[in-house]
Amino acid sequence: MSLNGLVAALIADDGTAEWPQRVPVRLDTVLAKMPLLARVGVRTAAHAVDAYAMARTGRTLGPLTVPEREAVLAELAARPALLPLLDVLKVPVLLAAGTERMLQDGPAPRGLTPQDPPLDLTPAPAWAARSTADAVVIGSGAGGAMAARTLARAGLDVVVLEEGRHHSTESFGRRAPLDRFTELYRDGGASAAVGNPPLLLPVGRAVGGTTVVNSGTCYRTPGHVLDHWSKHLGFALADGFDRQLDEVERTLRVATQPTPVLGTNGRIALAGARELGWRAAPLRRNAPGCQGSCQCVVGCPTGAKQSVQLSVLPDACAAGARIVTDARVERILVDTDRPGGPRAAGVRVRRSDGGFEILAPLVVVAAGALQSPPLLRRSGLGRHPRLGRNLSVHPATSVAGRFAEPVTAWKGVLQSVGVEEHHTQGILIEATATPPGMGSFILPGLGGELRRELESADRLATLGAMIADRPSGRVLGRDRTLIRYDLDHRDADRLIRAVRAMGELLFAAGAEEVLTGIPRTPRARSLPELDAVLAGTSARRLHLSAYHPTGTVAAGASPQHFPADPEGRLRGVHGVLVTDASVLPSCPQVNPQLSIMAAALAIADAYLQE
Amino acid sequence: MSADTASRTATSSGRPARGTVFRETMLGTLRLDDEDRIRRVRLDLRVGADRSIRPLGTTEARATGRIRVAGWADDSCAEGELEISPLARRRIRYRITFTADGRRLTVDGWKSVTPRRPLTSMTVLPYTLYEAGARIGTGTLRFPVGTQLLRFLASFRFPRPQDPDAFLAPRWRGEPGRTEVWYTTVTDPDTGCGLWLHHELTAPADGSEPYAHGWAAVFPKHGPVRHARFGPARWTPEESGFSADGATVRPGRLSGSAEGGALRWDLAERPADEPLFTFPRWSWRRPLLPAAHMLPAARASYDGTFAHDDETLTLTAAPGASARIYGHGNARRWAWLHADLGGGDILEIVAAVSMRPGLRRLPPLVFLRLRRQGRNWPRRPERPALGWAGAGRFRAALALPTWTVTGRCGLRRIRVEVTQPADRTLVVDYTDPDGRHATCRNSERADARIRLERWWWGGWRTEAEWRLDGTAHAEVGTR
Repeated sequence: MSLNGLVAALIADDGTAEWPQRVPVRLDTVLAKMPLLARVGVRTAAHAVDAYAMARTGRTLGPLTVPEREAVLAELAARPALLPLLDVLKVPVLLAAGTERMLQDGPAPRGLTPQDPPLDLTPAPAWAARSTADAVVIGSGAGGAMAARTLARAGLDVVVLEEGRHHSTESFGRRAPLDRFTELYRDGGASAAVGNPPLLLPVGRAVGGTTVVNSGTCYRTPGHVLDHWSKHLGFALADGFDRQLDEVERTLRVATQPTPVLGTNGRIALAGARELGWRAAPLRRNAPGCQGSCQCVVGCPTGAKQSVQLSVLPDACAAGARIVTDARVERILVDTDRPGGPRAAGVRVRRSDGGFEILAPLVVVAAGALQSPPLLRRSGLGRHPRLGRNLSVHPATSVAGRFAEPVTAWKGVLQSVGVEEHHTQGILIEATATPPGMGSFILPGLGGELRRELESADRLATLGAMIADRPSGRVLGRDRTLIRYDLDHRDADRLIRAVRAMGELLFAAGAEEVLTGIPRTPRARSLPELDAVLAGTSARRLHLSAYHPTGTVAAGASPQHFPADPEGRLRGVHGVLVTDASVLPSCPQVNPQLSIMAAALAIADAYLQE
Repeated sequence: MSADTASRTATSSGRPARGTVFRETMLGTLRLDDEDRIRRVRLDLRVGADRSIRPLGTTEARATGRIRVAGWADDSCAEGELEISPLARRRIRYRITFTADGRRLTVDGWKSVTPRRPLTSMTVLPYTLYEAGARIGTGTLRFPVGTQLLRFLASFRFPRPQDPDAFLAPRWRGEPGRTEVWYTTVTDPDTGCGLWLHHELTAPADGSEPYAHGWAAVFPKHGPVRHARFGPARWTPEESGFSADGATVRPGRLSGSAEGGALRWDLAERPADEPLFTFPRWSWRRPLLPAAHMLPAARASYDGTFAHDDETLTLTAAPGASARIYGHGNARRWAWLHADLGGGDILEIVAAVSMRPGLRRLPPLVFLRLRRQGRNWPRRPERPALGWAGAGRFRAALALPTWTVTGRCGLRRIRVEVTQPADRTLVVDYTDPDGRHATCRNSERADARIRLERWWWGGWRTEAEWRLDGTAHAEVGTR
């Protein structure tokens, strides 16, 4: 079914510009990459809106005039219960509309694209049906890459299996952000956690894992978190994390982001914090020479961001590691009759011709906190009662401030400034702008109002806040992942406080109004008005997304509570190491890339020292 | 301790009671990485495990056989190992090493067993070909169920583990009228000399004291046969082997002297093959026949020295074999052949006419065992001796200097012609437990012509032919 009518209604296509007419085609492309449920949901909603229009006017949305469409949408928007649903419907439309509107200005100028360091890549169809290795690493993200490099440098024959494909910096520069977006994210970026409220939980799927699409922000694991892991949870490797964090920072060339390329969005955040006297500074990032393309979340087009496929995996390949792409691991092979108990023997990988197998005495699980538990379950290794539980994420929300002068937030560093004033209360504010439509912030309004917001989006500055949560999620499923996450009451309060803090910061920086992201009360023109808005709302009405899932195969001392032992070895089987975000015992409270890589390095080192 | 007892003792000490042997043929393809064509492959394997296959566990097995790759390789000495674990590990892994174009290559692959596709997963073997650990090609082998399943199932054997040393233990338990022999024959490949060491226990039929005696003989390539006796001496039972008058037979070692040191020997023996029962196996365990003959190892190699008069032979990996006889005495007439055919193949023949009343009127019963490529032909020793109630039995024409054995079994037939020239033959007098005498004419430098033929589409085709000049070990006995 065509989505032309719905799109034309939502963005008030009055025929005065060309770009809105291209949006339906773009939307079809976006939906094709999304999971079946999301596709069906969007199309059903479009049907429902068309049916409503038919009932009210005798025609579907497409043939209606602009004022008639506006009238239909206004009737729908007058029903408060429908607003959240309409907002969900707006997400893919804004994604497509933002891209088409950006493209009308012509493609961004391309500078010289640096050559990526070489990788030893083999597509799964070309890999031998039977092969052997000393170690198989499942996943090429932050944890998998670090483990692969450590093991390869120790002389082991390492094979890295990656479900996604390899994308070069040159390909990032060549293609539109949205084309990359749907390819680089699992489920086309539509991964979500079921619960109250539902959370969008995007994770990357490519050689390099989520490091290809993260913001490049690099926080060292806070000292109090390391103390907690070591002293209370028994994750003894945390004691030596400083050394590993230093090594990871050297590898990723982490440094404070220089001010000139921060962009107006970041400078507004700094100005607001200065006005309030809050602690804020440009973030430490792994992007030396960043040119402020603001496309971190769809792959850095200049190669400045040192994602692991540009920094760690080349070292691993230089030491002999090989990477197999398009390789989804079906199961870990386990020899159940080995003396001393079951032992991992290798992996089986799905392929159209029946799959291939690699035998290896060591299997490193680094498929990510959302994929590792299902993988272990379908391998018969999911018997530990806490496997898949203890899911911790960073629930996040964002707020935009409208300024009198153009901000053009998408020019500059995507995540530029950190405001740590409330970090002790578990709230970390980061100035975050994304390419149009790709952020978690949803512009308010429908029809003409939404069109006006789109046209004036260059005057918006956006801030995001993530909170340190109580682990309250679960990863279910064997073949397909089902994420269950219910926001804890404490965390809901923190989110409201985070919205208030961001609003205060934006007003202090000179914002004319703050867009709250709350469907029923989307605007506040002053701090008291914002307080009034927040007083009457709950966190469940915010547009929430979540990042940084961790802890689903947590390592710790207690065999009853932790599926992995303090050195990252999966309990109940020999020869399986867990080196991804799932091994972290609890929420690291900061962007976790360095923590994951340090843990992977520590676990691989401990294995080699055995 | 009898061999049977020894076997049971070995079993109780943790060794599995039976092994497993089977044959498997797979056909398939190979694509070398530096080629863009597919080559046909055939793999014929003989797989042996030290224990019976454990369906619920893992069985390690050895494999030998032949691999043929069209236009590239044909190696009949392929060898490797199997990991058979269809349920516990859901894997049957093959690692087979072979030579192609002078390159040492390894096929490494495994069948990945799954209950969803039982037939395919148990018959399809994807593999990778490695040279020095680096991949050079990939391919797939398939077990052709339609043509090979029956043959595969029929090839299963569950042999008892056989320790050559266990067969050296004396069988005699004090009965009167028994004779027991440990003998060894060797050919020195360097000098062409033949050696014969004979150790015998005789328990006279009249119940008098048993005695041990024996002799040694050397058959030089140039010069007369030299022969010397030791004993008779008092028999002292040994736990394993023979010892009397300074001549000993121990597991892995033969030493002694005869005629006051005129002949001296000190040899280390290394078994190189499985035991070979010339007579039916049951006749060795249950001595119901007048006598039984067997080889603890069908082939062995010998290192050490053999001195006669002023000359000393130094043996290095000299081929030969030891054999055992236990029974009531010597036959009325007999012929014996041990021929090392090379490449691990052995032919052992005993053709004999019994001393028993009634049986002595029969023609010679031929016990012929051809071990070729690890398999014995005919499959059962009774077949050449008895045929089908006499029909189709193998025939022997015992004479000197040439005697022959011919016979047909299944689709194969054999003709053996043994020549013992008088100048290379030693005449020895044997004494039975009942005091009667027999004359043995023995040569460890005999000649033999052996032709094996196979029936193929209306005619006999020569399958193999061997010619042994001075390296066959043979004997003819008469009264």
